[in-house]
Amino acid sequence: MILVQQLILGLLVGGLYGLAAAGLSLTFGVLRVLNVAHGELLMLGGYLTFWLFALWQVDPFVSLLGVAPAMFACGLVLYLALFQFVIKADEDLRIRNSLLIGFGLTLVLHASAIHFWTADERSVTTQYAGGVIRMGAFVIPVLRMSSLVLAFMLLLALHLFLSRTRWGRAIRATAEDWEAAALMGIPVGRAYMLAFALGTALAGVAGGLVSISYSISPSIGLEWTLKALIVIVLSGLGSLFGSFAGGLVLGLAEAMSVVFLGGPYRIVVGLIIFLIVLVVRPQGLFGARP
Amino acid sequence: MLEVENLQVAYGELPALHDVSLAIRPGEMVALVGPNGAGKSTLLKTVAGLVKPRLGKIRWEDQPIDAVAPQRIVERGIALVPEGRRLFASMTVMENLELGAFTRRAQIEKDAQLERMFTIFPRLFERRDQRAGSLSGGEQQMLALGRALMGLPRLLMLDEPSLGLAPKIVESIFAILGDLSRAGMALLIVEQNVHTVLSLAQRAYILENGRIAGAGESKALLDDDHIRSAYLGPLAQKRGKG
Amino acid sequence: MKLLAGGVLLAGGFAALPLLTTRNDLLNLGVQIFLAVVLAQSWNLLGGYAGQINLGHAAYFGLGALVTRTLWLGGTPLLAALAAGALVATAFACIIGATAFRLRGAYFAIGTLGLAEILRITVGNLLPEISTLRAAELASYNILPRYYLTLALAAASVAVVALIVPARVGLGIRAVREDEAAAEACGVGALRHKLFALAVSTAFAGLAGGAFAYYHVSYYPQHTFSPAWTFDAVLISFIGGVGTLHGPVLGAFFYVIVKEYLALRWVEFHLIIFGVLFMLVVLFLPGGLVEAWQRLRRLFAR
Repeated sequence: MILVQQLILGLLVGGLYGLAAAGLSLTFGVLRVLNVAHGELLMLGGYLTFWLFALWQVDPFVSLLGVAPAMFACGLVLYLALFQFVIKADEDLRIRNSLLIGFGLTLVLHASAIHFWTADERSVTTQYAGGVIRMGAFVIPVLRMSSLVLAFMLLLALHLFLSRTRWGRAIRATAEDWEAAALMGIPVGRAYMLAFALGTALAGVAGGLVSISYSISPSIGLEWTLKALIVIVLSGLGSLFGSFAGGLVLGLAEAMSVVFLGGPYRIVVGLIIFLIVLVVRPQGLFGARP
Repeated sequence: MLEVENLQVAYGELPALHDVSLAIRPGEMVALVGPNGAGKSTLLKTVAGLVKPRLGKIRWEDQPIDAVAPQRIVERGIALVPEGRRLFASMTVMENLELGAFTRRAQIEKDAQLERMFTIFPRLFERRDQRAGSLSGGEQQMLALGRALMGLPRLLMLDEPSLGLAPKIVESIFAILGDLSRAGMALLIVEQNVHTVLSLAQRAYILENGRIAGAGESKALLDDDHIRSAYLGPLAQKRGKG
Repeated sequence: MKLLAGGVLLAGGFAALPLLTTRNDLLNLGVQIFLAVVLAQSWNLLGGYAGQINLGHAAYFGLGALVTRTLWLGGTPLLAALAAGALVATAFACIIGATAFRLRGAYFAIGTLGLAEILRITVGNLLPEISTLRAAELASYNILPRYYLTLALAAASVAVVALIVPARVGLGIRAVREDEAAAEACGVGALRHKLFALAVSTAFAGLAGGAFAYYHVSYYPQHTFSPAWTFDAVLISFIGGVGTLHGPVLGAFFYVIVKEYLALRWVEFHLIIFGVLFMLVVLFLPGGLVEAWQRLRRLFAR
């Protein structure tokens, strides 16, 4: 049945939505910074993966081992160059300035990508790209399945980091109450930097997975930022697995809209859900802020 | 040990502290009392590094700390139990305690110190895997105290430790504070409960409207008429001296 | 007063320009600049003066373009079509306004962004074909009426904002920006003022869109809903000097001229430069070119 097949595909892409959202959730939750360039960072990771494959035939799943640290470093640079200055203001001004800075970053990254790599769509096409697993009448593309599994494992690893390690706890503490965290001896600036870099690395890896299983172009940034925002609004901040689940829900919702409304409105449905939830529960999902 | 000289602190345009000076010697328990809004919390926060002074100096063990970041001040041996405790409510008792030992210095002693904390606060051991937000008021205060102690401070500052707590619990907390003091820790306690804190502390400062309005030995202050009428209420006056 | 005189002089100068030159490229540049002024100034009223960062500004530009183009090509007189475009844009804004303003700060921004994207995608699905002027309009196409229309709109947008800001409603709007809770406590109805700013802002955005529809020979309808228009408005406002009257004007000149120059060599490159400039302004020079100019003057005044 078409519906079930679409739902399967929706689940598979939903895992990536969740991964993208988790990165943004981390930075927003810890730093209270809404980096609307998150999608562009995802795009960067995708291009990094693509070029490693196109130029040096590095297997994309292997190259993710390099993409992650590279994007982590990128996150450090962005924090030091831009976002650390935004942090200094109080909450309202901080969110507004971070929005604007992220906005500027979006433009710069988007335009740079077009300038250096052209506006063409790219995709990593490995030899095993077309493989599928057959389950009865349904088809599960191997690549997308692997991407989903990888995304989940990454979130699991991040969860373990945040719950079991000293710095992971420090990040959570800083997210909850940065002044109290400072009183524990936690260097708050460094906790912010770490969280931001981790969020960026997550975005980059998500981008790599997108380039492997789907395709990338300089313009996917805004779309993926919106996806991440939709998932965050649906599932709330604070839980990585919540983000993952929210991503799956979005993927399923999109799949259903494809079946009942047709392809062109896939994104619109997600955005409408986004707006409804945003308006109906503006405080509940993003924490206590009215 | 701790020397505060001519401190001037303001929040933006709002002045909070004028020309405040105080000192704490090793092993002393000093109280800081005064009416609401006098600036007592501000003073503690400034020593802890959360607020930067406009003017004045703060010296700790002969080193200036008025421009030092709060996390460094913890490393150097000053801990603050803030007003309202500011626990990490979503994290467990154990995690809160472990966070208290974040600094490298405290990490070394972490396991031993945890044991010590659980000995002093057996209820915390029982509830170690519970979310801090689900504890009772008294347990939360003990957790806040334990968390601060995990950092191995040499000076412990407390902002209104008895706030919102039942008298019996206040008693047990102050008993613990008394033990800490006898063991050699320096303590600076801001308290509404003037009678209790003055009967434990050796010295006290009175802060009114951001200025030091008085200072001296606790016994002398307890006998002072102005203090008694301002802070100790009609009951204390009726009870007479002593 | 000086500003008024300067503004009138400037407008007069531009009005006289076509008498001095028939160079089409200059007149086209003029149109671009004037459009940019309207786009930015309209955003500036809501974003700069009222402090509401609206990232869905393109939606009103697009609605104005859509309605104006459809009516005008259908035979409606231009001015009526323009008015209709502005009306539709404002009506749409007012309908969603009360709900939208339940969101604060960043949530308002991303909510309006999401809304504009919904419109863009829907329009792109419903009207995928390019919209081109027919032979009759092409034959009679003349740059001059476009030039004067956009010049008039630019002057009007500046004039309207100039009238609003010092007036009672303008004070209320700025109070809301500074501290909404405090404003409410003083009896300034925050929602009313925000809606007012929104209405005027979107009306001019719709007029700008209508002017665009009148000016451009052919374009894809969904292009007028593209977030690029919002980005332009935000960039220009901030680089010029957000929350000031002449900031968007200065910014528009600067932006369009530099963009035209750079476009000769590299496409899209201007966005890299402006993006960086924008971030520098937000972090270090919040008053934009206006502030830079004032600082320079003070430097030389010594």
